[in-house]
This record gives sequence, structure tokens and C-alpha cells, in this order.
Amino acid sequence: MRRALLVALLLAASVALSLSTGVRSITLAEALSAVTAYDLHDPAHVTLMAIRLPRLVAGLVAGAALGVAGTVMQTLTRNPLADPGILGINAGAAFALLLGAAVLGRSDQGAVALFAFPGAALASLAVFSLGGGLRGEAGPVRLTLAGAALNALLLSMVTALVLIRQDSLDILRFWVAGSLTEAVYRPVAGMALVMLAGAALAFLIAPLIEALSMGANVARGLGTQPARVQAGGLVAVTLTTGAAVAIAGPIAFLGLMAPHLARAAAGASMRAQLLISAALGAIILTLADVAGRLVLAPGEVRAGIMVALLGGPLFIWIARRLRPGAMS
Amino acid sequence: MKRVILLAGLLGLATVAALLHGQLDVGPSVLWQGLVTGEGPGALILDTIRGPRVATALGAGAVLGLSGTIFQTLFRNPLAAPDLLGFNAGAGLAIIAGIAFGIALPAPVLAAAGGLVVAVLVGLLAYRRGHGTPALTIILVGLGTGFTATALATFLMTLLPGTAAAEAQRWLTGSLAARDWGHAGQVWGIGVPLALLAFAQARHLMAMELGGELASGLGVRVERTRWQVSATAVLLAAAGVAVAGPVPFVALMAGPFGARMTGARGPAGRMAAGAAAGALIVVLADLLARATLPGLQLPVGVATGLLGAPYLLWRLSREMDRGDL
Repeated sequence: MRRALLVALLLAASVALSLSTGVRSITLAEALSAVTAYDLHDPAHVTLMAIRLPRLVAGLVAGAALGVAGTVMQTLTRNPLADPGILGINAGAAFALLLGAAVLGRSDQGAVALFAFPGAALASLAVFSLGGGLRGEAGPVRLTLAGAALNALLLSMVTALVLIRQDSLDILRFWVAGSLTEAVYRPVAGMALVMLAGAALAFLIAPLIEALSMGANVARGLGTQPARVQAGGLVAVTLTTGAAVAIAGPIAFLGLMAPHLARAAAGASMRAQLLISAALGAIILTLADVAGRLVLAPGEVRAGIMVALLGGPLFIWIARRLRPGAMS
Repeated sequence: MKRVILLAGLLGLATVAALLHGQLDVGPSVLWQGLVTGEGPGALILDTIRGPRVATALGAGAVLGLSGTIFQTLFRNPLAAPDLLGFNAGAGLAIIAGIAFGIALPAPVLAAAGGLVVAVLVGLLAYRRGHGTPALTIILVGLGTGFTATALATFLMTLLPGTAAAEAQRWLTGSLAARDWGHAGQVWGIGVPLALLAFAQARHLMAMELGGELASGLGVRVERTRWQVSATAVLLAAAGVAVAGPVPFVALMAGPFGARMTGARGPAGRMAAGAAAGALIVVLADLLARATLPGLQLPVGVATGLLGAPYLLWRLSREMDRGDL
């Protein structure tokens, strides 16, 4: 309970920081009055409502989505290194988005965002089957290497596409960046609903996933059908990852980090982990975005880079701690 | 023997094809005339347009392939290649850092320093006291170190002004655009002595391949040999990265591909085959990247990524079926 309170406090603090930090500093009192008594002629109010708030909401939604996606993937595959970025699912969504933008020849944000979902679904399916997940034997090494390979392949295709369609480089570029700066132009509200749907599904089937993570035979003995649970998990991962990529671009390592911290804070129950992990994902991405605004002010560093700078070392730490027996 | 000639023949053919084809195709007779007389369009292509580029591609591919083969033999694992282990990313990071902070050192020196620092880091981070470090731990730690180095390089790129950042991005993908004889001289001048050193170490490598215990029984100082041979291989990879960027998957593919083609068994034979296969892969990938789509020159790294990633996936599924992974 105390930990849940701590997480809630952190969330409130990061929200306040995100609203007040930037090229123009805004006090919390100003922020409050912008909500309660919006004044069109007050530049602080306009900055807040038109730029900072969409950006904050996008960060919260995408961060929570990646926290949920990471928790589901790590439990489902019994792989502590699973993350939508590392396993190439982000890249699948991003590639499909770019392809969609190139085919439609426009950057109609709403329609183009929908391409993220088939992309994420295909990439999840590909990496799970390549990593042996469909046979219930997705060891960390196997899955991680398959993911790294898929990620490299998709990123090469993204690079090729961006270089081929140089005219649309600007339309294409912003979705590959992993940044919240363009949040105003993204379908944040719609994607928030999709994220909630995915998170709700994950929450609903969490006990079944936990049963499956004890091994396919145990799960069958407990009366669950492994194939259905896996399919449900893949749908939840697809919905959450797709929503995150559609509003923030491919952000790696957040889905790795949040579940690990959540396990430390929430204990063994997957439902508690999902809630805490979603909150932590939102907090980390928001703080990374704030940090990115501060380090090179008045310039900006993309939130995705700030997250990766923390996530890479964490990946090494987890890889070191993997027991040799758990490697295959 | 026949198969060695086949690989050499393929390499020769690929080199000639790379000189003949591009945004503008020329005939073999034009090229020959240029070679003999030193005049005409053939000479222009040999001297400035494609000659240095192809020579650089051959050299970079050879050192990367050789480096990969050495690591794969040393760790007795086909996935232990400098690109998967993060050394290429470290070399790339060092070069970007050089641009960002205005460090006036030659690119190969920076690349070597970056590659070595990452190699030492991976070695230290993966090391576990008491029991031997499994190759897979080294690979995962290397992968993570590579991720971190790439993230740092991307971070540093945001410090650069727009055009320099775009150039750096292209460079990080692995590109052979606008290479001159300086680049070719660099990779060959550094690569040949390092390769000789590597072949001198092949005897140790043969002992190491028997496994740590047998090797030390034969009087090889295992840890020291491992560090020495690794250092040579890291420097070889860095020499390639310095002129062509961190071209992905070449070091990974070259060793098994060369061994399969030539049937070479001993370490020295496989090293030679891996170097030749690396050169072949890079020359062909560069040709593919710049000559397949009219009016468009893709960086060579995109082509090796498109070829190499499916190879890695195939390799993984094979290792899994055999139960090695």
C-alpha cells in the first residue's frame, strides 16, 4: 500500500514537472488557472493547453501502454529481457506506419496510425514463432536474438524506405524518432482508448498468463488452453504497442524497465504488476521527456533516446544475472 | 582446392561487376582500355569513381570477415561476432564522439579505441568469478553494450548541426559513398599487418578450440591467449568500421559462409576463407545497394541488413533444431 502511494506521488510529481518545464517556465498556479479559468490571451495558458498538455497526455498513454506490453511479454515468454523495442515489435509498427504513409501519400494522422496495429501484430507473431514461443519453449537467448535480428531487418527496411521516398522524408521521419514533440498532431484520444482496451484485456487474462508461465503442461492441468492464452496475450501486446508507436514512435527499453521495477514494488501478482508497471511506464517516459527538454535547453533530446540511455545498462545487468540453466 | 578456386573466382567476378555497374554501366572493353592505357572513361572509373570504392569495400569486408571468424572460433559459437558483441557499435560511437567534440584523431584510431573500450567492458561485465563465463552470457552482455553505445551515439548526434547529423546517420548505417584511395590505403595498410598477426596467432586458436582445459593442458595460457587474440580481432573489426562504418552482419555471416564454400577445417584455412567471404559479401552488397534502383544510392549497410538479418534468423532456427541453443 505504501508503495502504491509512493508511485502515485511520483506520478503526480512527474505530471507537475512536465507541465512546468520547458522553454517557458510555468508555475503550478498558472497551470491550475489555465484549467479552471482559461484565458485565450495569456501566452502561458495557450502554451500549456495547446502544447504541454497534449504532450503530457501522449507520454502518459504511451508510457503506460509500453509498461503493460512489457509485463505481458515478460510473463508470457518467461523472458526477463522481453521488450517491444528489443523484440522488434516497435519496429514492425513503425515500418507499417511508414509504409502506410507512403502508400496513402499523406500524413493523415488518424488513418495512418491504424497501420501500427497490423504491423505490431505481424512482428509479434513473427518473433514469437521464430523464437520458439508457439511451442512454449521461448528461452531468453533464443527470443532475444530472434528479436534483435527482426529489429535489424525492419530498421534496414525503414532506412531504405525513408531514403527511397526522400520527398516524404519529413512526413515519415517523425514517427521513427521516438519523441513526444509531435503529440499535438497525433490521434492521442483514440489511441488512449485502444491502449485501455489492450490493458483491460491483459488485466482480465492475467491469471491465465500466470498459469501458462508455469509451463504448458501445468497450465493444461489447471484447465487453461495455452494457445488461447497466448493469442490473447499477443492481442494485448499488439493493441498496447501499436497505440504507443502511433503516438510516440518506437520507444525501446521502457517495456523492459517498467516491469522489472514493478516486480520489485508489487510482488508476485501479475495484476498488481500490470497496474504498477503501467504507472511506472508513464512516469519514466514523462520524466525522460522532461529530462530531454532540460539537458540541451533550448534544444531537445528525444524522449526515446533518454529512455534508451537508462535501458541499455539495465539490459546488461539483467543479462548478467540470468542463470546458465535459464539460458536456453 | 577446387572450392577455394571457386571462392576466389567469385570474388574476382564480383569485383569486376562492381567496377562495371552502377548508376552508369560501362562495358568490359572500356574498363580494359582504361586499365592498359590509363586514359578514357575506363581510367576515370578505375581511378576515381569506382576503383577506390571497390578497393575499400574489399578491404573492409575482409577485415570484418576475418574478425568475425576469429571470434566465432575463439568462443566456439557462431553467434559471437563483433557486430552482435557491440564492438562495431563502440567503434561507431567513438567516431561520432570525435565529430561531436572535435577530437582531431584519425578515424581508425578513434574506431580502434572505441572498439577496444567496449570489448574490455563486455569482457569485464560478462566475467563471473568461480565458474567459466558461458558464451551466451558474453553474447547477451555484448548485445546490451551495443544497445547502450548506439543510444549514446544517437544522443551525441543531437548535438550536431543538421547536415552533420544527417551525414553521421548515414555513416552509422554503414556506407561506402565517396571513398577515395586514402580510405582504401588506410584499411589495407592497417588490415594486412593485423591479418599477418592474426595468422601468427592461429596456432593458439587451434588449441583454444579444443576448449579451455585441454588448451591449458597443452601449455597454452588460456586467459592471456583469449585477450591477445580478442584484441587482434577487435582491431581488425575497428579497421573495417573506420572506413565503412559499422556495416551490420558481415562479420557474422562471413565465417560460416566461407567455411561452407571452401570446406576449410583448420583455423588458418577458415580465417582465410572468412576474409574472402567477407570481401565478397561487402562488394556484392554495395553493388546491390547502389545499382539495383535507378537514380538511388542506398548505403551498403541497408543491403547487408536486409541480407544478414534473415540469415541470422535462419541460423538461429537451425541452432535451435539441433538443440545447441
